[in-house]
Amino acid sequence: MAELTTLARPYAKAVFAEAQEKNALDAWSGDLALLAAYAANDEMASLLVHPSLTADQQAEALKDVCGDKLTDTAKNLVAVLAENKRLTLLPEIAVLFEELKSQLENTVEVDVTTAFRLTKEQSEALKKALTAKLNCEVRISSKVDKSLIGGAIIRAGDLVIDGSLTGKLSKLAEAMKS
Amino acid sequence: MQQLNPSEISEVIKKRIENLDVTSQAQNEGTVVSVSDGIVRIHGLADAMYGEMIEFEGGVYGLAMNLERDSVGAVVLGEYKGLAEGQTAKCTGRILEVPVGEALLGRVVDTLGTPVDGKGPIEAQASAPVERVAPGVIARQGVDQPMQTGYKAVDSMVPIGRGQRELIIGDRQTGKTALAVDAIINQKGSGVKCIYVAVGQKQSSIANVVRKLEEHDAMDHTIIVAAGAADPAAMQFLAPYAGCAMGEYFLDRGEDALIIFDDLTKQAWAYRQISLLLKRPPGREAYPGDVFYLHSRLLERACRVNADYVKSVSGVEGQTGSLTALPIIETQGGDVSAFVPTNVISITDGQIFLETNLFNSGIRPAMNAGISVSRVGGAAQTKIIKKLGGGIRLALAQYRELAAFAQFASDLDDATRKQLEHGKAVTELMKQGQYAPMSTAEMGLVIYAANEGYLEDVEVNKIGAFEAALLSYANSQFAELMGKINETGGYNDEIASGLKECIESFKSSQTW
Repeated sequence: MAELTTLARPYAKAVFAEAQEKNALDAWSGDLALLAAYAANDEMASLLVHPSLTADQQAEALKDVCGDKLTDTAKNLVAVLAENKRLTLLPEIAVLFEELKSQLENTVEVDVTTAFRLTKEQSEALKKALTAKLNCEVRISSKVDKSLIGGAIIRAGDLVIDGSLTGKLSKLAEAMKS
Repeated sequence: MQQLNPSEISEVIKKRIENLDVTSQAQNEGTVVSVSDGIVRIHGLADAMYGEMIEFEGGVYGLAMNLERDSVGAVVLGEYKGLAEGQTAKCTGRILEVPVGEALLGRVVDTLGTPVDGKGPIEAQASAPVERVAPGVIARQGVDQPMQTGYKAVDSMVPIGRGQRELIIGDRQTGKTALAVDAIINQKGSGVKCIYVAVGQKQSSIANVVRKLEEHDAMDHTIIVAAGAADPAAMQFLAPYAGCAMGEYFLDRGEDALIIFDDLTKQAWAYRQISLLLKRPPGREAYPGDVFYLHSRLLERACRVNADYVKSVSGVEGQTGSLTALPIIETQGGDVSAFVPTNVISITDGQIFLETNLFNSGIRPAMNAGISVSRVGGAAQTKIIKKLGGGIRLALAQYRELAAFAQFASDLDDATRKQLEHGKAVTELMKQGQYAPMSTAEMGLVIYAANEGYLEDVEVNKIGAFEAALLSYANSQFAELMGKINETGGYNDEIASGLKECIESFKSSQTW
């Protein structure tokens, strides 16, 4: 997992630089998402590592399923990846690309898990507070998890703010045990 | 056993709930990717520091040792059986610390300072980071006070000063631990605090040391840090640093402390295991590249610091502090040119070589006087031992030379024969039983007797009895003289004539 990210990084950087140069960030973003989705598909994944297929055949297979939705440069990326036997890295490349993109746009993806659905006001207030704390534009994607009982868990990359009731209770449990 | 008081317990619980900090704090989190042989790989944790404590689920802690681009390699401190792939791991922002202070004296603790002797919790005054940079040049002072081991062979020929690092090296079963334990016993009443760090030893050996120290009333000034053979490699690797942190507490407060690392070979093994599992490239004997630094940074922390340093650190005025280290290295088949022994020999300020053949021929302590040296201890020797000890060294050196030569010669001239006999007598005199440390005056007296030829008419196999009888006679009949020597450690004509009178009156009136 960790190693995959490391392997995928140079590709993501290269694609990102190319996209920036051609001013085609959104187009690339769509292409990569599509490729990543196909590459992550079980059947496709097994095809991509199949030993009896040549690199060209694998690249062709991937290009075929995407049909004419891919730009020419994206097709070239597939060819390069196939040549280096790295087609399976596509999901990681897509993730890293999105990270680089949001870094450029100074935005952060924030996952907010709450016990109850957030109201519009709550969501706005949260957005405001997080924008101030993280010092950049915040894009909130919210999830509901009843097991939190109350409160919320906010995740932005590696940073986690656990304000849930379950979290507090487990803290209390640990303090009582020690 | 005390009665449980229900209300009191509810009270405690209430207090705990009240004091519990449940404010949510932003934390760096990662995911456990793999757990193997005590090594955990964590994805994420982008903000982890080197040497930071990592908290796993279930209250288990780890130590970040490898910071890589997308992952962190950590060693688990303790039981790692409950850890699983996919669990979260959190940064704590804390560097590993251990409790330090007077409260630890008399206790047996593990690497993290948790008591393992069943005597209840330790109310430690403070805690200190396990890794610390040694005091710099400005803070240091020369070694000029003796650290008496109580062994006449060691104190006369390889004197150890307070703040010195003296290596004890030898094969298995040559009395390395015995020497170190006796050094601890001899510190009783001298105000020197002792720390015995047992690394990778059998629990039974550790229990034995504890029992012996208790028997000789030496536990009151001693802390034992035990990382046994069954403890995780991370604990064995960290134990010497933890012990050192406990010793530095006394150093910082202008006191003297003695620390024994028993033994550093096993610590190097533990570190090698961790390094190989963390996929660091192996070098000579499969040790990682920084195995020299592993020991040099540890032993560099043993030093003597000046009063200014003590004042600036703890506010205690007019006191110098010292931490004396006696690292132990176990060699395999007497091979001192192996990697770790050569490293530690070059780091320390001298070494005491213990040899199997000497041990088996009944010379105990089995110290090889020819190759054992102390590079700084001479300045710290008491005057009387310094003055008289030179003769012993010389006599033994000449004896060794002649003994090899004399094997081929059938008839020897009188001077040579005399020298051989003197050498034999001195070798015999240097023998000393375990748990029988000697005071400065006692050492001075017997060495004086050897130097002045009072052993010439004593049969070699009677020397032990002669010594014992002489000492008990001197301690009872010449108590004032002995007390004076012990107090001042000086040597002058008056003391010399006193010793002479003592021995002569003993020889004329007593039997042995």
